[in-house]
Amino acid sequence: MERSDAELARDARAGSEAAYRELVTRYATPAVNFTYRLVHDRALAEDLAQEGFLRVYQRLETFDSERRFSSWFFQVLRNVTIDYLRVHRIPTASLDELEEDGRRVPVADQEGASPEELAGQRELASAMTAALSRLRPEYREVVVLRYQEGLTQPEIAQTLGLPAGTVKTYLHRARKEMAELLAAGGWGPPSGEPAPGKTL
Amino acid sequence: MFRNVNSDPNGERDMTRRELDAWLLAEDGGDEEAADAAFSQVFSAVPKVEPSPMFVEQALNASWAWRARRRRRLALSWSAAAVLAVVAAASLVLASAVFTRTVVQVVAFVSGHMVPWLVAYASVAVHGWLTLGHVGAVVAGTLVTPGRVAALVGVELVGILAFYALWRVAGAERLGDVQV
Repeated sequence: MERSDAELARDARAGSEAAYRELVTRYATPAVNFTYRLVHDRALAEDLAQEGFLRVYQRLETFDSERRFSSWFFQVLRNVTIDYLRVHRIPTASLDELEEDGRRVPVADQEGASPEELAGQRELASAMTAALSRLRPEYREVVVLRYQEGLTQPEIAQTLGLPAGTVKTYLHRARKEMAELLAAGGWGPPSGEPAPGKTL
Repeated sequence: MFRNVNSDPNGERDMTRRELDAWLLAEDGGDEEAADAAFSQVFSAVPKVEPSPMFVEQALNASWAWRARRRRRLALSWSAAAVLAVVAAASLVLASAVFTRTVVQVVAFVSGHMVPWLVAYASVAVHGWLTLGHVGAVVAGTLVTPGRVAALVGVELVGILAFYALWRVAGAERLGDVQV
């Protein structure tokens, strides 16, 4: 039976290297993915994620086991990233970089998928990634935490230090903006169908 | 299969395309829960950014290095505290002997020089007090005789009577003014 994050955190706090290793392994991808969405630089994202893990390790004593570990983890990671961005005044990624990101998006091969289907999936994934990259950073954060990391709205609110209503509004606006961006990129319904959105 | 409708407007629509449309329709219709669920399906197409293969080891190494530094610092701190405690205790022992001797010397010196002065001042004060007492006794012996005491009592009685008479006279005059 897989041990919970809270149990691993408790054991790591007690000095278990194996428990901490398991936590790092479990959260490596979410951490790098989250920081990458904010900085758009893979090397920097990995550095910040490592710094985040170090900060988490240093502050394991302060982790409240009543709270969900992922929420606390992303809060620490976000603080590390925001601190870095403030100090280094890194601008948001340029459109060229974002389009480049969109073209580079890899898609996992799916069993039974034809080359055409895979190409289509890759195309949609690229469009979604590019649209995500064009969102405001605060919208990007909530979208990644909600739809990639599976945090609930109250957990996102706690992680980002925002009112729950604001998180809900951000999610709504982020989806709207992504719909518009996708429509602008040609991802509307086939011609002849009633347009579901203002641009589709 | 799904596709960009601008590039292939007449192709057949696959499940992901339907999910995309379901999301857009729910979004447009203001159905928050449906939009949330449909978008979640569509967003699963976006791959996560994977870390490099060495990432986990590097992150762990950074943490272990910090832990080792912390342990070294702690050990150094404890060592320094222990050394400080020993030095302080030794200093206290050595200093206490010197301190005690110094205190005794100072007390002996001060008391040796102060006591004669204190005795002298006390003697002068006692002598003065006795002189005053003697003078008082002489004055009292001279003044206090039976005849003088009787005369003094008589004078006091005469004074009291005079004061009483004056009070009665003043009262009678006040009564007379009221009657007028």
